[in-house]
Amino acid sequence: MQNQIRCWLLAIILLCVSGAPVFAENELPIPTDDLAYCSTCHGVQLMGNPILKAPRLSGMESWYIENQLQSFKKGWRGTHEGDVVGMEMRPMAAALSDEQINQAAEYVSATRSALPASSVVGDIDKGKVLFTTCGACHGQSAEGDPAFGSPMLTTVDDWYLVTQLKNFKSGIRGSHPGDIYGMQMRASTQLLTDEQAIMDVVSYISTLRK
Amino acid sequence: MAFVIAGPTRLHGTNVGPQLQTLLIHQIRSIERHHMKKHLSRRRFLNLVGAAGGSTAVYKTSMALGLMQDTGPVAQLDLQKAGRNGKKVAVLGAGIAGLTVAYELERAGYDVTVIEASKRLGGRNLTVRHGDIIDELGQPQVCNFDDDPDLYFNCGPARIPGHHRRVLHYCKELKVPLQVKANMSRPAYTHEEGKFDDKPVRVGRYTADARGFMSELLHKAVDKNAFDQPLSAEDRERMLQFATAYGDLDPNGIYKGTIRAGYKSGGFITPAEHYTPMDFSALLDSKFWERGMTLSENPDWGEPLMEVTGGMDGLIKGLVRNISSPITTNAQVQSISLKENGVDVVYNHKGEREKLSVDYCFNSIPSHFMSGIPNNLPAEYRKGLASLQPGNFFKIGLQMKERFWENEGIYGGITNTSQKINQIWYPSHGIHGKKGVVLGAYAFFRQSAFFERMSPAARIEFAGKCGDKIHKGYSGYIEAGISVPWGRMNHMMGCGADWSPEIREKYYKLLQQPAGGRHFMIGDQISYHSSWQEGAFGSAEYALLELDKRVRAASARSGKG
Repeated sequence: MQNQIRCWLLAIILLCVSGAPVFAENELPIPTDDLAYCSTCHGVQLMGNPILKAPRLSGMESWYIENQLQSFKKGWRGTHEGDVVGMEMRPMAAALSDEQINQAAEYVSATRSALPASSVVGDIDKGKVLFTTCGACHGQSAEGDPAFGSPMLTTVDDWYLVTQLKNFKSGIRGSHPGDIYGMQMRASTQLLTDEQAIMDVVSYISTLRK
Repeated sequence: MAFVIAGPTRLHGTNVGPQLQTLLIHQIRSIERHHMKKHLSRRRFLNLVGAAGGSTAVYKTSMALGLMQDTGPVAQLDLQKAGRNGKKVAVLGAGIAGLTVAYELERAGYDVTVIEASKRLGGRNLTVRHGDIIDELGQPQVCNFDDDPDLYFNCGPARIPGHHRRVLHYCKELKVPLQVKANMSRPAYTHEEGKFDDKPVRVGRYTADARGFMSELLHKAVDKNAFDQPLSAEDRERMLQFATAYGDLDPNGIYKGTIRAGYKSGGFITPAEHYTPMDFSALLDSKFWERGMTLSENPDWGEPLMEVTGGMDGLIKGLVRNISSPITTNAQVQSISLKENGVDVVYNHKGEREKLSVDYCFNSIPSHFMSGIPNNLPAEYRKGLASLQPGNFFKIGLQMKERFWENEGIYGGITNTSQKINQIWYPSHGIHGKKGVVLGAYAFFRQSAFFERMSPAARIEFAGKCGDKIHKGYSGYIEAGISVPWGRMNHMMGCGADWSPEIREKYYKLLQQPAGGRHFMIGDQISYHSSWQEGAFGSAEYALLELDKRVRAASARSGKG
């Protein structure tokens, strides 16, 4: 019996280490040709591709994806000179109709991929203290709250959280008067006094992943 | 027919190197020990040779055994035939490298399937004509050139030099017609903002003056014997002659201008008028000598170059014409799983999830996409792939309603400018036709970002304004135009791989080798000639020879050879 358990454990570990798909294939949505464009940069099942600085989007909330695609389309995001990657994203959203944005958001939230390993190292205890304030909007388990326009944070690449916190803090993101939630977030990031604080809080968020 | 191995002396007639010879002898002796002077067929013997040295050794050994004629140094592959139960192969990506692998393995009896993510074949070998789609992310374009076979634009590779033997081998074998393409052109211009009163200067004139001035200085240095090592009287005399000939100096060693700078006027029925030399310090203050002037001295751009008649994609059509294996477009790879005895490839096609289980996989997917495709390739191999940054290039093609450059004596070749468009290329074909397509901008690597941020229409307008500073009325001739930012093209997001010397040292050899002996990374990205077709052909050839080595070794081991 114990041997059997060991075998199973080994199989599970191997599966995780090998990077082989861990989801039943019939759970995975197949994009239409139009939506297949997303995976050019964001990877299969929108698992993210750090080489292209394209974050993981798998399983994000459709309401948030819709908000952000609209943000890009309206130029609230992806127009700041310092936001090179955002400028690369913007033409994709700008070309979409409202209906297509809707479809894209549904597709994104249906995608599934394995959570990538954490890459950010910080002081988790200090991060936990800092996160108490974040949790007011994002929830203490970082589960997100649509009422505040706050997305779930546990499905996102940690390197991407760092980039976006820096962008908010420096005003690259969240400066456009139309972007009300973005402006709120920008104000909140002033709590993170330096880069170390950003690393600390992100490393704590990584511990909340399920 | 069979013969008995009498001893290693059999090998002495072959051209294999001493190290390989030792290895072969060692292998054959071990077989001898096993089989105790059993008869060894020629085929089996060649498999042993192949196991140790690959196809090249087989080729050379075959010649030595009198089984083959020595046809010279043609990179002709001699892959072992796959036999009745042809092994299964998946080729990922239908660019030059992928199609070459498919073409060769199909001939060797393999069961090949090619899958391609985009709607079209060819990868970055892309020639656009009337009505073609340029699949740029977020802003797709439709080529608005006239429907005319001469009006096309090579968005990717556009030049073939004579030492790219593999490209030329396939052009010859596939009967793809070639024509000479002018690259460096003396009547074309160099233009630099703020230099020479902002006016373009003919390349011939600039080059003649630059050499004249330098030769005069050399002449003076010889006169003064200003060298670290004293020169003999004979050497001094020869150097003076060299300087005089190189710069076309007068008998006193002074550069006073030369016919090489071109005729200012006359020279046929009235006396020739020559240019007086430009100001030396103005010439030094310019930058054309830094790169443009010597560009064609790099062998890859060395005259004469060639191009495929009718558009570079003629090479793709040549390959596809000769491939009968299935090629599926619109098929995006979802995962690659390396197994002990093969590779599983899952892909999406027409709303279905398909799976290919093959013996070997040849993968030309751009390395920067591999981090976004689930796979179980060895960790170090994945790290190597993830360490490569995408290269980048940007081109604009403009349809001109008149071939105005021909009125300026320019027939093909390149004008260089300090403006962001870098270059203007004049077509070498369709001479004296009504219209022509010129290259209106060519940005390299990071320069491409400037154009990527613009709309396609803004890019054309910008290129027109730059051209106006070189050719009078340039923008007024533009009738149609397309732009191709490789860093924004669907399924590409880059152009070749950017290898730093450190990354090259650390990962190149690893990535050249098949992972688990089954998964071969190919494409110009796995070569020393990224963004050149020769690199793509070379990577395919290398991978095929690696495969052949393994197949022959397995045949030899199983004794079925």
